[in-house]
Amino acid sequence: MNAARPSLDRNFLNRFGILIALFTLALVLSVTTDSFASASNLTNVARQVSINGILAVGVTFVLLTGGVDLSLGSVVALSGVACATFAHPGDHSVFVPIAVGLLAGAACGLVNGALVTLGGVAPFIVTLGMMTIARGLALIFSGGRPVADMSNELTALAGDFVGIPIPVLCFAGVALAAWFFLSNFRLGRHIYAVGGNENAARAAGVPVEQVKLFAYGLCGLLAGVAGVVLAARITTGQPNAGQAYELDAIAAVVIGGTSLAGGVGTITGTLLGVLLIGVINNGLDLQGVSSYYQAVIKGVIIVGAVWLDRRQARS
Amino acid sequence: MRLTPRNATSAFLAVCVLTFFVTFLSGCKKAEARKEGEILIGFSSRDLSAEYTAKLSEAVVDYAKTKPGVKLVMVDAQSDVQKQFSQVENFIAQKVDAIILNPCELEASTPAVDRAKAAGIPLVLVNQVTKSAGDSYIGSNDFDAGRIAMEAIAKKLNGQGGVLMLHGIMGTSAQLQREAGAREIFAKYPGLKLVDHQTASWDRAKAMALTENWIQAHKGKFSAVFAHNDEMAMGALLALERAGLKKDVTVIGIDAIAQALTAVKEGRLDATVFQDAVGQGKGSVDAAILLAKKQPCPKETLIPFQLITRDNLSQFLK
Repeated sequence: MNAARPSLDRNFLNRFGILIALFTLALVLSVTTDSFASASNLTNVARQVSINGILAVGVTFVLLTGGVDLSLGSVVALSGVACATFAHPGDHSVFVPIAVGLLAGAACGLVNGALVTLGGVAPFIVTLGMMTIARGLALIFSGGRPVADMSNELTALAGDFVGIPIPVLCFAGVALAAWFFLSNFRLGRHIYAVGGNENAARAAGVPVEQVKLFAYGLCGLLAGVAGVVLAARITTGQPNAGQAYELDAIAAVVIGGTSLAGGVGTITGTLLGVLLIGVINNGLDLQGVSSYYQAVIKGVIIVGAVWLDRRQARS
Repeated sequence: MRLTPRNATSAFLAVCVLTFFVTFLSGCKKAEARKEGEILIGFSSRDLSAEYTAKLSEAVVDYAKTKPGVKLVMVDAQSDVQKQFSQVENFIAQKVDAIILNPCELEASTPAVDRAKAAGIPLVLVNQVTKSAGDSYIGSNDFDAGRIAMEAIAKKLNGQGGVLMLHGIMGTSAQLQREAGAREIFAKYPGLKLVDHQTASWDRAKAMALTENWIQAHKGKFSAVFAHNDEMAMGALLALERAGLKKDVTVIGIDAIAQALTAVKEGRLDATVFQDAVGQGKGSVDAAILLAKKQPCPKETLIPFQLITRDNLSQFLK
């Protein structure tokens, strides 16, 4: 029972395995399509993965503590609606809708965290509840209709900054900060400790409840970021947006080598997992593969990647 | 305060009991409110978060309020076939006088229609058909919508050029018929080529990502996008505008939702096809009342589609 000790070899193999998969896929796509390797398409891929990426970074924290967050997609919708409601032109400065969107996300995350730690309810149940509660609130606040008429200042968030899409910059910033935080801060190390062995961590004086509350809160906050970015991108707050986003995010994290049991995983792995899923989606569209086959292929790759990972871990 | 397992349990029980009472009391009120001779209509809406359906449902509710002696209960199926089936079963259990069903799907919603029939409760289908016919259908022929939209594209391109098609959720009657209508126009103009087609599930974000990928794969090979609804047309429009390609590409959607009309007004979207949500909603209530009173009611009432461009836009803006 020393799951808390992330073996160096295993992490190395993990990253190596996904890198090989990513490169092979990229190579195949570059050869079989004219458009994959172009700069504009690669920007395209980066822009399309950014929302899933931001969510995946957030849920990495929760998975590392041994929890799970199924409410992400609904929280994205709620934050998007909350943001769009305050984003009508001339109503408020652009910071108000952004702050409202982020707060909505963080609030959902903190409620999840509080119920998991103080209430002692299983994370699966708590976040399953939040999934329908947040979706319901999004529908209530929007009256069931897309919230349109957003100011140009806000929709500009989906535009470019010195040639790079702003959502990509958000994702990069979030990933970088998360990576730095997990490897250099004491709270970051506590997150691994809690997921590795909760009792041992508690005995060693780690404030387990606070660490978990932080992880869920942060995950919610990042879902809020994703919600604001999505609303800017599609220029509306859609109460029905984000269906099943949590599954793509969790899939990316797991492909990236994070253990669902907690304690093991890296942001670099998550980044690679996100890119792998993004390249698959983009590549299958470029190849003109029907969406029915796309669903099957994606599922096979997710299970395959994790299976390979476990085999390597055992050997 | 720390929540111990014990007081958490009692809190949970308290919430359960409270919920139960509230539901029970409101249930009683409903049962009492049903007066002698009052007509009770159950209405299951496909999805209130879809703008077009929300507009239709609002028309149903508002119009029913203007009818004396009629009480209408609306429920939202949230695009879930299973949920809608249970809603219809609940209406049957409540012994409503008529059901208005705005079905989620062509095939999968059929058992719900059959169940109402078996129970002898008249059923009106609105906006979308199912495999089993209801007692009355109020809607528009989606085949025409596909035809009108593609015909407009063909005219704009002078019958020559590549077209991308964004499908709705595959298997919905709207998707099947809109595609069939469009395909008829492709057959009529051999110069029109279907470059690629894929479902974006009526969803704006999905349509946007798909169009971005298509721009990479087929840049320069297409000059029009036909989307099965306006939500997806708006997604395609945003992707094309961002890539700076909108001026070379015609985009047409269906439904005439508010945002699409604004986009037509601003000269961004080329056209949309108007489907009369309010007309359909009112028609379904009229049919339900006739059927509940056991009076003759037409089997089918079709409300025509119209193409909206910048030229005739003013008559559709309130």
